[in-house]
Amino acid sequence: MEKFQRYYLSFLLLIVYTNTIAQVNCNAVEGENCKKACELYNWASDLQGFAESQEGFDKAIELCPDFSLAYMEKAVPYLKNGDFVTWKILIDKAVALDPQMHLGYRGWTKFQFLRDYKGAIQDLDQLKKYYPGDLGRSQNGDYNLDVVRAMSYSALGQKEKAAGIIEKLLAARGYVKGMFDHYQLGVTYFELGRYDKALENFEKQSKEYNFAENIYFKSKVSKIRNKDYLDLKMLALQTYDEGKTMKDVYTHHFNKVYRKEIEEL
Amino acid sequence: MLSFALVSCQTEKTAKKYPNTVGDIEFDEKLDDADFKKCGSEKWGHFSFQYYQGSKEYGYKGEKIAIVEKLKKENIYSENKIDGYITVRFLVNCEGKTGLFRLQHMSPDLKETVLDEELENRLLQFTKSLDGWMPKEIKGLKVDYYQYLTYKIENGKVSEVLP
Repeated sequence: MEKFQRYYLSFLLLIVYTNTIAQVNCNAVEGENCKKACELYNWASDLQGFAESQEGFDKAIELCPDFSLAYMEKAVPYLKNGDFVTWKILIDKAVALDPQMHLGYRGWTKFQFLRDYKGAIQDLDQLKKYYPGDLGRSQNGDYNLDVVRAMSYSALGQKEKAAGIIEKLLAARGYVKGMFDHYQLGVTYFELGRYDKALENFEKQSKEYNFAENIYFKSKVSKIRNKDYLDLKMLALQTYDEGKTMKDVYTHHFNKVYRKEIEEL
Repeated sequence: MLSFALVSCQTEKTAKKYPNTVGDIEFDEKLDDADFKKCGSEKWGHFSFQYYQGSKEYGYKGEKIAIVEKLKKENIYSENKIDGYITVRFLVNCEGKTGLFRLQHMSPDLKETVLDEELENRLLQFTKSLDGWMPKEIKGLKVDYYQYLTYKIENGKVSEVLP
């Protein structure tokens, strides 16, 4: 029995650890029903994905129909588990109630989970009306949402525009760099055939945070220029095997490179 | 935590609006192979996990690119220049075998709709043919887990395999 309890506790910890919990300070919420809805929301967020959690969000919505966070959090497990139809119905409700709060998240998700580049740009352009300066970060914290706009333009073939957005961001005073900014800019320049600029950015990326994909692209530039690229290729493979790659818990990164592609260089 | 334990104990006693966990797939004798068995560890209460729980590595031999390359060889496309998404969800059991396949089809703006029955069926069969899913272990115990593949369709062709 004791053994079972230990496993059960580990199980709960694992589930709670895996979930993104967005607790809200309910003292700041106005109205008795909405305060209760907020408390329910906090409780349900801890149990993300379970039936009791979904029912908790339903009760919260019943008590306070304009509480957009309840729709948003209720939507999350559908997104993670690949039920995009249900996710979209719920996230659209959250955005309709509070576009300023949820457009960034929906835009990011369209990019990251669905590779819906046009949809991502639409949402993030709309978000710019609320935040003309800084759009904020992607849900996983890796990117500024303007870089997500840039990657979306890049995927749609508008590479000069994409490079311009990232260059402008990097030059902006007070800009906090994302984890892969120079890499994504470097790949964009690489695709434009501007290898000097590409290499410049891969070198900058190396100094801040190096990983296999970045080394792979450095190796590619060397190969194109008929320089020795094999040492870099080997280093890319070694780095890959050490686990220093672009990783995301739920999906794959834009411009991720696989081991097989490095082997074939 | 305790509150979860309490509600969890009541879970099977009352009819629920939602499955125990979002996305749970129940065996359907009309759709599913009767030989496919769940075999996740008893110590985890036979709970079916999600692909993103436990190991952070993509659970397919040769990584996602192996699926993408196999799909290219199969040359699956639709004559109709359709756009949208086709998702196939399934369970990978503790031996790495797959079953309980369910398909969802969507327009580009994620409204449920039939895209092309033949394309959908071919992608379902393709997904069923994938035999490189790796068994997942959590705390040293083998578990069953849900996985999905979403095929983004542009002009009748698969342009992306997600996630």
